[in-house]
Amino acid sequence: MKFFENKFTYDYSFPAVSLAYFLRYPNPYSRHVLTTDVIDRYVDPNTQRLHTIRLHLKKSKVPSGILKLLPKGMGGSDNSGQSYILEKTIVDPKEGWMETESRNMEWTGILSVVEKQNYQRLTSEDRLALDGLAVDKVSEQTTVKTTVTFRSRLGQGKLLARKKPDTAGDHVEVEEEAPRKGFFSSLSTAGIQRTIELIGVSRTREAVLKSKEGMNIVLERLRSGGVVGVLEGMRQDREAAFGPEGPWKRVWLQGNGKDRSIENDGK
Amino acid sequence: MAASIAPECNDIKEKYDTCFLKWYSEKYLRGNTSSNDCEALFKNYKGCLNKVLKERGIDSMLDDARKSGSSETDAEFLKKS
Repeated sequence: MKFFENKFTYDYSFPAVSLAYFLRYPNPYSRHVLTTDVIDRYVDPNTQRLHTIRLHLKKSKVPSGILKLLPKGMGGSDNSGQSYILEKTIVDPKEGWMETESRNMEWTGILSVVEKQNYQRLTSEDRLALDGLAVDKVSEQTTVKTTVTFRSRLGQGKLLARKKPDTAGDHVEVEEEAPRKGFFSSLSTAGIQRTIELIGVSRTREAVLKSKEGMNIVLERLRSGGVVGVLEGMRQDREAAFGPEGPWKRVWLQGNGKDRSIENDGK
Repeated sequence: MAASIAPECNDIKEKYDTCFLKWYSEKYLRGNTSSNDCEALFKNYKGCLNKVLKERGIDSMLDDARKSGSSETDAEFLKKS
């Protein structure tokens, strides 16, 4: 198992950041996100927290580095280039926090990726501790801690990889084929798992950065034009992404937060 | 607004999304957490969506994934953090 961890501070209030999270697709950095649907949403009557479950369909291919490690035929021809992501969020507006969890729904035996984010309103006391005398510099901030866990079970007995549902509507569970002779001889099972997890980490570093850029664009649109501004921006993004000749030449505002990344090996 | 996985649900989804954004930013985040202005629209949207999810076999995959919240991975994850 491997971990990726990142901490970031948005120069926006918690309500704005939480709204931007629900509004973040589409943005110019999310062209791989094809669809987003709300599966379930309710306010817990006891805690008043808002629970949301969404399903995202994203364009993604099994990286070629991982494909090379898989027994022949697995993850290859039937890899449609799309993957389903389940996202759960809980918002507590009173306490000023939001927790999110996103996970892939298929191929979890080959590589299960679980991203957790913890958004937190930064109170003035916290800011004082962080910035010393520069408290008045910014009005409101929100911190987010992102942790991504990678786990490959490849080679550990039964593999719980799941094929895409076919057109008949049924889905098939496949068990790992007995690898051809020599497949595991050059690389130990632990080595394969480790390699797959490492490929996941390197792809995630870029994905986390992109998603942050996307959030910053949505937040900037919120600040300058409110929800209407965000919706107008989305319309333009959609035209640019799916229009006949998307003029993809706009200069987007850069994120302006503080950033630091660390990576841990969970082993 | 983000498109639905079911193109036939896009219209009702857009109505629901618009309602939700208004409710979330103007009521929920301001402390009016017990209101549920968008319930009827959500019901319509869910009705449309669930049909398509079932047709494509995504519903059972969703059920499995939703249950996996307390998996071994999470238990180990919590131990580490």
